[in-house]
This record gives sequence, C-alpha cells and structure tokens, in this order.
Amino acid sequence: MNKELTNENKLIEDIKKTFPSSEVSIQREKRVIVKIKQDTVPPLLSYVKDYLDFNHLSHISCVDWIEQKKFELVFILWSYDQQIQIIAKTLINRDEPKFTTINKLWRQAETYEREIHEMYGVEFVGNDRMGDFLLEDWEDIPPMRRDFNTIQFVKENFNDRSAAREDSKNVRETIAKHSGEEIPEFAKKYSTRNIDE
Amino acid sequence: MREKETTLYLGPQHPGITGNMMVKLKVAGDTIVKAETHVGYLHRAFEKLMEVRTWTQCFPIVCRICVPEPDPNEENLARAIEEIEGREVPERAQYIRVMVLELSRLAAYLLWMGGQSGSSGLYTMPQWTVGDRDYILDLFEELTGGRVYHMYIWTGGVRRDLPDGFEGRVLKTMDYLEERLKDYDKLMFESALFQKRAQGVGIIDKDKAIDWGVVGPPLRGCGIKHDVRIDEPYEIYDKLDFEVPTYEGGDVWARAMVRRQEFEQSISIIRQVIDKMPKGEYYNKIPNPLTWTIPPGEAFVKTESARGEYGYYAVSDGSDKPRRIHVRGPAYVHGVSLLENILVGANIADTSFIMNSLGVCPPEIER
Repeated sequence: MNKELTNENKLIEDIKKTFPSSEVSIQREKRVIVKIKQDTVPPLLSYVKDYLDFNHLSHISCVDWIEQKKFELVFILWSYDQQIQIIAKTLINRDEPKFTTINKLWRQAETYEREIHEMYGVEFVGNDRMGDFLLEDWEDIPPMRRDFNTIQFVKENFNDRSAAREDSKNVRETIAKHSGEEIPEFAKKYSTRNIDE
Repeated sequence: MREKETTLYLGPQHPGITGNMMVKLKVAGDTIVKAETHVGYLHRAFEKLMEVRTWTQCFPIVCRICVPEPDPNEENLARAIEEIEGREVPERAQYIRVMVLELSRLAAYLLWMGGQSGSSGLYTMPQWTVGDRDYILDLFEELTGGRVYHMYIWTGGVRRDLPDGFEGRVLKTMDYLEERLKDYDKLMFESALFQKRAQGVGIIDKDKAIDWGVVGPPLRGCGIKHDVRIDEPYEIYDKLDFEVPTYEGGDVWARAMVRRQEFEQSISIIRQVIDKMPKGEYYNKIPNPLTWTIPPGEAFVKTESARGEYGYYAVSDGSDKPRRIHVRGPAYVHGVSLLENILVGANIADTSFIMNSLGVCPPEIER
C-alpha cells in the first residue's frame, strides 16, 4: 500500500473543487468514496460521467440504517480510462424516502431503481416503471427493510413442516426400540431436538 | 397495410429460455416490436437471508446464485470479507482459487456452447458439451465434494488442499478439452449454418456499449478490450500471462468467437497456474466462527465471470452478521435493460439465440 495514488489524489481534488460540500476519501488503491448530500448526487454523477469519464455504472445499492432512521443509497461507478471505482453515497430520509431517477444518465439504472423501490420503498421520481419487479401482489412493508420480520412472515403464510423433518424425529429411540439396545447415557441429550430453539 | 400486433409470452417454461424468466413480446408478423422482461419466478430472498446468517453461513447461500458458474460468488464474498477485515490469504490459496475460477469458467463456456448451438438447431453440441462438462465436474467433486455447488473458497483461503496427483488429472482433462475443441470447431464454429444464423443478429452498438452497462464477452465482442482480470487484477492474475481476445461486430457471432478464444486462454491459464503453484499453507485460519465478528466497514469487490463483471457490495456493522450484501450480476443488466432494447426488430426465433449469447442467468437478477 505504499504506491503513490496519483490518479486517486487528482480525482479527489477535482471532485472537491466542484463539490466543496462533499466528503471524499481514498479507501484503498482504485477505490474512492464520496459522501455527499442527497440533492447534489445527480449533478455529481453527471459531472463525473461527462468530464471525468466515469461512464460505467457498476451498481446501485441501498443499505437500511434503521437506527439512524436513514437509507443509504450507494452508486458505484467505474472509469475504464482512469481505472478507479467511485463509491458515491448519500443518506436519505427513511420516512417517505424519495430520490430523483438517474435513468437519463444510464438507462440500466432503471432496473436497479425498480428493485430498490420494491425492496426498500424508495420512490424514484421520474422513473415511470415503478411497478412490480420481483414480487407479485406484495402488500406488506417492503421486505428488505430491517424491520420486516421474515420469520413471522413465514409462520403466517406457510405451513409448518418442521414436524415432518427427519431431524425432528426421535430416530435414536426408534432404533433402540427395534434393536432392543439401550441408548447410551451420553447420547440421551441429543436424541430429542427442540425445534423452537 | 400495418400488420396487427400480437402479444407473445416466451417463458417461464420454454426450452429456449435460459432459466425461469419470461419475455413478453409484442410482435408484428414475426418481428419483435417491443420486449419486456418479467422476472420473479426464482426469487429466494438470498440477500435478506444473509442478513440473518453469520458471515461463514453465507457461503452455502451465495454459490446458489448462479448455477452454471457458482465459484465467482464464493470468491467475491470471501474477498469482500477479507478486504473489510484486512485478512491475508496465503499465496498457494490464491493460486488454487484462480484454478477453480478458471475451471468453472470452462464449465460455464461448455454449457454456453450447448445452449447457443442448441438454440440454433445444432442438437449434437449440447450432448457433447454437457458430457464434457462432466469431466470438469468430476474434478470439482474430487476437490470439493460437490459437483455443482462447491462451497470451497472461503474466508482466509480454501477449504482443503489439493488431493494427491490432482494437478496431473487437471492437466489431463485440459489436454482432452483442447483436443475436443477441434471437434467443436467443426460442428459449431466452422459450421456454415451457425455462421449464417449468428452473423448480423443481436447487434450491440459499439459507441453505446459501455453506457448501456455491457460487460464481459458481449463488450469484448464489440471490439472493446476490457476485462476485470486486466483492469483490476485480483488474486494472482497479474502474475499470469494471458490475452484478452476481442472481436469486431457486436453481434452473436462476435460474442461466440470471443468465448471460443477465451476457452483456449482459460486452458492456458490453468496450465500456468499448475506450473507456478507454490507449496505452503492453503488457509489462514479464522477465529471460532461462532463468535467471529467483522469490524465495521464496506467493500466493493469484483471478478470477471464467464458472463462479465461480477461484483459484491458488502457492508459490515461490526457484528457477526452482514449488514448488507448486494450482488451485482452481469445478467442484471444484460437480461433486463439490454435485452429489452436489442430484441426490438429481431425475429421471434432469434430471441433465445440472443439471450444465450448475452449469458442471461435469471437467478442472478432475482437472488
């Protein structure tokens, strides 16, 4: 890690000059993290795309920080010329989350936005394909949110099949009964399994 | 007179669809006017599931994200954890990882050859390539215990060392596949039927390819030379000598030729890896996995899979479970926005042909 990160440092300078409010740091070689306010994200993405050749949109992700009542939107861009990955992050309000679509910059952003809308409930203003994507007729809260209780959902919606599972049956006792041998003392505590544990 | 438009549902149960997804086509005559990808038949909520599993318990989940090529998932997750934690990986483990990755690339290409030629009516090829893929699966079975899902690469290295004489058996399989490639050439790549069918179909515009998020062989089929193994070498790819083939045209034929040449490159990489593999440790032991926590942090790592750039965005909040793991599969872009665009104007019969050439893998879209 003693390499001189010339490109990365120059990139940081460029971004700092244009967006003074942003927090820019080098995570490691070829990784630059930009933390920026919500409303300056589209201008930032448009700037790095048009002027700094960050023209490959690798990924758009969303992280639920429920303790801070925020969603974190993460835009990951790669520049084939500079060979640097920018990770641009912004925090948005968790109640009534709204964001501007960036599908004018990259058309494939539409797909990511559809998924984030469905899984986290973030509305992307300007994206007109905000309907069902992976889920069908979903009426509960968006399922990737941290407060969505998966186990409760499963218990309410699916039959409990745990009693039919092989490991819930007392196999050792059945074998002991058939063979007439006694279960050794040390194995007795393993011979029954409590499903609720 | 304008022809009447009809709606045609291709999939989710259709031999030409690469997995469980549906393409809703609007057709005029036999020309596609509008295409819409519908997914959701395979959604198993892996990413949600991983949030309630410990980091080590995630490994049996991630390999199920892509059936034809599960290893980039394991390698990506392992490398993401290692990057957040700052864990070193022994050199021998890195060599073994590259060998496994390239073997799985070969297996994926064999499956692709079957799908690509099968969707153009050459039904002998799938029989041959799926049979030959089994020789690679045999190697995986010996190495990892599993044929399709391996759960072999994990944090800190690989699960166990190579068995005795394994290198020799890998080399023997490589010799066999190289010899076999001549037969594939005769049957598929030199076949006039396949060439006529593939040339000029499913063209991706070179100027727009990067903007549209095209990666992997489809991008190199546009004549643009980008490969994660070269751009951002991971493991020990910077110590290996290999070429990144490109081909002009951007059509199905160009993508087929790129994959055909990469097949040879992968064989060469595996031979180099076995030749250069050092002795030593294969695993940097992690602490007790039941109490093992990862410091807070985040990482975006990526691998060049057989279908293109495969990325993992992992976030840790300092606990024993991941805060968020988000998978970026190449099919996410290729199978939805790209497919919907390049299908317009194509013939109905070319739909599955084009899908195969893009390497669309639905479980990657839905996870």
